[in-house]
Amino acid sequence: MKHKAPKGTLKRCLKAVSQYKLLVALSLLFAAAEVFFTLYTPLLFGRAIDGIVAAVKDGMDAIDATLFRTAALTALCAVASWLTGSLNNRMTCRTVQQLRDDLYGKLNTLPLAYLDSHPTGETVSRMSADLDRFADGLLMGATQLFSGVLTIAGTLIFMLRMSPLITAAVVVLTPLSLFAAKLIAGRTYGFFRDQSSVRAEQTALLNETAGNLKTLRAFHRQGSYLQKFDSLNESLKAVSLKAIFWSSITNPVTRFVNSLVYAAVAFAGAFAAITTGGAFTVGMLTAMLSYADKYTKPFNEISGVAAELQNALACAAKVFEVLDAADEAPDGALEPETVAGNVEISEVCFSYDKSKKLIEDFNLSVKPGQKIAIVGPTGCGKTTFINLLMRFYDVDKGTIAVDGVDIRRMKRRALRAGYGMVLQDTWPTPGTARENTPCAPPAPPEEEPGGAQRRPPPWSFIKRLPEGLDTVIGEDGGSLSEGQKQLLCITRVMLCLPPMLILDEATSSIDTRTELRIQKAFDEMMTGRTSFIVAHRLSTVLGADRILVMDKGRVIEQGTHEELLAKNGFYTKLFNSQFA
Amino acid sequence: MKRILKYLNGYKKETFLAPLFKMLEALLELLVPVIVRNIIDVGIAGADKPYIAKMCGLLALIAFVGLGVSVTAQYFAAKAAVGASAALRRDLLAHTLHFSYADHDAFGASTLISRLTGDVDQIQNGINLTLRLLLRSPFAVFGAMIAAFAVDGATALTFAAVIPALFLVVAAVMAVSIPLYNKVREGMDGLIVSQRSALNGVRVIRAFGREQTEARKFREKNGLFTAASIRAGNVSALINPMTYVLVNVAIIVLIHAGALRVSGGAMTQGEVVAQYNYMTRILVELIKLANLIVTITKSIACATRVAKVLETAPSMAYPEQSALPDKNAPAVELKNAGFTYPGAQESSLEGVSLTVGQGERIGVIGATGSGKTTLVNLIPRFFDTTQGAVKLFGHDVKEYSEETLNRLVAVTPQKATLFRGTIRENLLWGNDEASDDDLTAAARAAQAADVIAAKSGGLDEPVEENGRNFSGGQKQRLTVARALVKKAPILILDDAASALDLATESRLRKALSELSEQPTVFTVSQRVSSVKGCDRILVAEDGKIAGIGTHEELLTACPAYREICESQGITS
Repeated sequence: MKHKAPKGTLKRCLKAVSQYKLLVALSLLFAAAEVFFTLYTPLLFGRAIDGIVAAVKDGMDAIDATLFRTAALTALCAVASWLTGSLNNRMTCRTVQQLRDDLYGKLNTLPLAYLDSHPTGETVSRMSADLDRFADGLLMGATQLFSGVLTIAGTLIFMLRMSPLITAAVVVLTPLSLFAAKLIAGRTYGFFRDQSSVRAEQTALLNETAGNLKTLRAFHRQGSYLQKFDSLNESLKAVSLKAIFWSSITNPVTRFVNSLVYAAVAFAGAFAAITTGGAFTVGMLTAMLSYADKYTKPFNEISGVAAELQNALACAAKVFEVLDAADEAPDGALEPETVAGNVEISEVCFSYDKSKKLIEDFNLSVKPGQKIAIVGPTGCGKTTFINLLMRFYDVDKGTIAVDGVDIRRMKRRALRAGYGMVLQDTWPTPGTARENTPCAPPAPPEEEPGGAQRRPPPWSFIKRLPEGLDTVIGEDGGSLSEGQKQLLCITRVMLCLPPMLILDEATSSIDTRTELRIQKAFDEMMTGRTSFIVAHRLSTVLGADRILVMDKGRVIEQGTHEELLAKNGFYTKLFNSQFA
Repeated sequence: MKRILKYLNGYKKETFLAPLFKMLEALLELLVPVIVRNIIDVGIAGADKPYIAKMCGLLALIAFVGLGVSVTAQYFAAKAAVGASAALRRDLLAHTLHFSYADHDAFGASTLISRLTGDVDQIQNGINLTLRLLLRSPFAVFGAMIAAFAVDGATALTFAAVIPALFLVVAAVMAVSIPLYNKVREGMDGLIVSQRSALNGVRVIRAFGREQTEARKFREKNGLFTAASIRAGNVSALINPMTYVLVNVAIIVLIHAGALRVSGGAMTQGEVVAQYNYMTRILVELIKLANLIVTITKSIACATRVAKVLETAPSMAYPEQSALPDKNAPAVELKNAGFTYPGAQESSLEGVSLTVGQGERIGVIGATGSGKTTLVNLIPRFFDTTQGAVKLFGHDVKEYSEETLNRLVAVTPQKATLFRGTIRENLLWGNDEASDDDLTAAARAAQAADVIAAKSGGLDEPVEENGRNFSGGQKQRLTVARALVKKAPILILDDAASALDLATESRLRKALSELSEQPTVFTVSQRVSSVKGCDRILVAEDGKIAGIGTHEELLTACPAYREICESQGITS
């Protein structure tokens, strides 16, 4: 996986870890201690073994003293090893936690234009899979690298002190295993790249279809879908086998080289033991053999870690890309306490794709309590209008003002709190019904005699939920029907009672009797409130103070019902076909 | 676990040979300390240079044979792991594809996706490593012990003592960490759900100024997840130091005892070195094992979760041999049909009896939650009745194969969804063999012709993930077209026109009544105008049928229907 990570990614990663400076420092310290203790132990064991011959005449005291020191060292080493592991683990988890929080927070400040143009699955995988790979590869890998380098250096020193000649032999032979590993890694790299691209394709297929399994079943497409999946699965199988096999060859090959080194050390050591006449002891040979083993091992690990690091760095870069994406325009400072509901739209131009014009020089003035109806054929672009009013998107030119204040100078939160919005698309958030209705009082009002009518109708809906406000609503609304989801969204707004309303008269999935009661409640709610209504009903159109006629994303006519009829234009045609 | 291991059956040879070759590899390695002992006791002691050279040559030879053996083992292990997990992934998918609606609701999409991707990958990894270590580790460990006994029985007793202790440590750490890793994985699932809904519901969250609250909730979840990860990691980090201590203590005892025996002349120095080498070999083996235990532990957790999905038998089975629809029988017969959702207290539908002739048009109207959708979902057997029976063309729905049922019934579900691909690919879902003319005709009837015409690519216009480059109304019309392409004798439109304006809907109704194949149509709707023209209208109320009849009959005879009409300003 050699997606080139942009420069500076490593620096950013280090920065992300840097808040755990103490942890890092301690972890490095303990890692160094562990390496030292681990390397020192064979030396002591070597001495003890040499002591065996002496013990035959001198007794056990010398050996036991050495062994006692070894025991103490072992204990220290174990403690250092556990501390290193657990500190690294803590540091990794905490860093990733922070990044994950940051990413989630970022979702709140990214412009909707960004979110609308990036598939959900992609963004989710930044926060899960990519972060995981970052954690595994970079943080764990980096610590392995550190211990590895220390081990190599330490072993060299220990070996040099015993026999420079044998050390030289080891140093000369070891690069063989590195060379072999590199050769294999080069081959493997291509297979891994292929594997990840096939896997991505397969995941995309799964992602879309698992979300819509019901439709799949309704059309009995399991068979053909499975076929599609199978062909991907077969290619994945073929490429995975290659990738896994070739990468798993590294180990045996490097081990082979290591065994050769071992044989060479045994050979040279044994000859030395004979020729030096006791200066090079059997104990030293034993120690040398275990050092040769220890010296070569980190090389194998490091070659593996290098690839991991690259991969992790690439993942980190993707994560940073999201974090670095431009935020929404900065929030305004004004936070009006009360909103009367004057909405002034002047000379507004807006389009999603800046090369295609959409809304141009749009003007509209709405006084508190007025009703603005939006009409138009299916797909006429009412969402655009709502996007601008709620400041999900910013206008390209002109201004939208609420109570005389440009909405860009207001806090978004304050602006949006002024609006109650019920849309056709419903997105209950997973959690309880209570969490979905933030304005709800702790409990539904008690049935009071005569109070029943004053209670907004949604309460009866909430009362019908199995656990009332504490009913848990699953992912994507779970077992709620489309109508129930809509009711939940209406309940949200009715309980908040904001000064301005945006309503899609989307009661399409709710039965008409309930709808009638809701409409009545809507009507009551609308009195004295500025409302923007995507109109489906004749009465709404007739009762509106102003009607916006939209088509193909733009406002093409506006006026009162009578004015528009008099024009005998698009509205007249629309009215006759839709409402009359 | 058994369910997962079953997938290795297709790779019996590989599953057998991989560990076998690994075992051979371990066996070869066991020879090394004996050779080193000989070098010390014979070669060095006797200053026999040719002997030393011969022995070192033997070491090199062993290394060479070991290479061949272990490469073979790696290949078989990889082949078995990749093959078995590919088969597992496929079966898991096929299994979930046969889940009934109820089963699917019980798991949820996110869970199923993560089972199919991350979990299966982890299992593959686990199988691969297990095959390589399955026999190797125990063999290397016990082999070292046996070899140690061969060298010197008395000192080898330390092996007998330390090995069970080592396995106990490994087993204990695994026993504690497996449940912890399960928790971590579950936490991850929860985080993904939060992230997905934050992205999908971004407008609602922002409209209600809930950013901070949601972020706080996420931080809490993330905090719990992190705490669980740290705990699991800390427990796993115990393996290495604990085994290290045990082995070193054993070596200390070994050298001490060895020295005593050498003094007594019962043992040579080379033999002590051999024992020492065997012991360090055990440690090396265990460090390998410990590092892999974490992976295997995770894999077992994943396997358990995958097994849970596999063990959930689809709550619906289809006969091998499908009944043949009787051309002269009524299209649909409901006999005292009823349905209760699993775990629900009250039934969603009960005691519905109705016979619908071929070509008849039935309207279904009623309040939200009155059981309309439940009723029509029984016809294509999305759910099985929990009471009574449903017959299509003379046979119980349970007598038809899935294919036959699919041919008999076309449905547009309540939620209009399109799939990534092109418009054509989406429409072909109805019938793979349909020609472009068929597609255009269906689109025309579904009032979707202008949707297609408005796109520069026509039928080849790309459809994005979940059809998000189409508006709700456009999607609805295209899903109706998709159902029409099927030309099934029974057509169910479940609130399929809710996002359409009245004019478009009325044109759609007209076009449907003119379809050449004259299907039996069930129209579910909230709007009286949508069902008014049907041959018969069924009024659902609280899971029961409040009335069946024509618009006029119901207006006089059915108070519930009258109320619905009044609420929509319809009086005649």
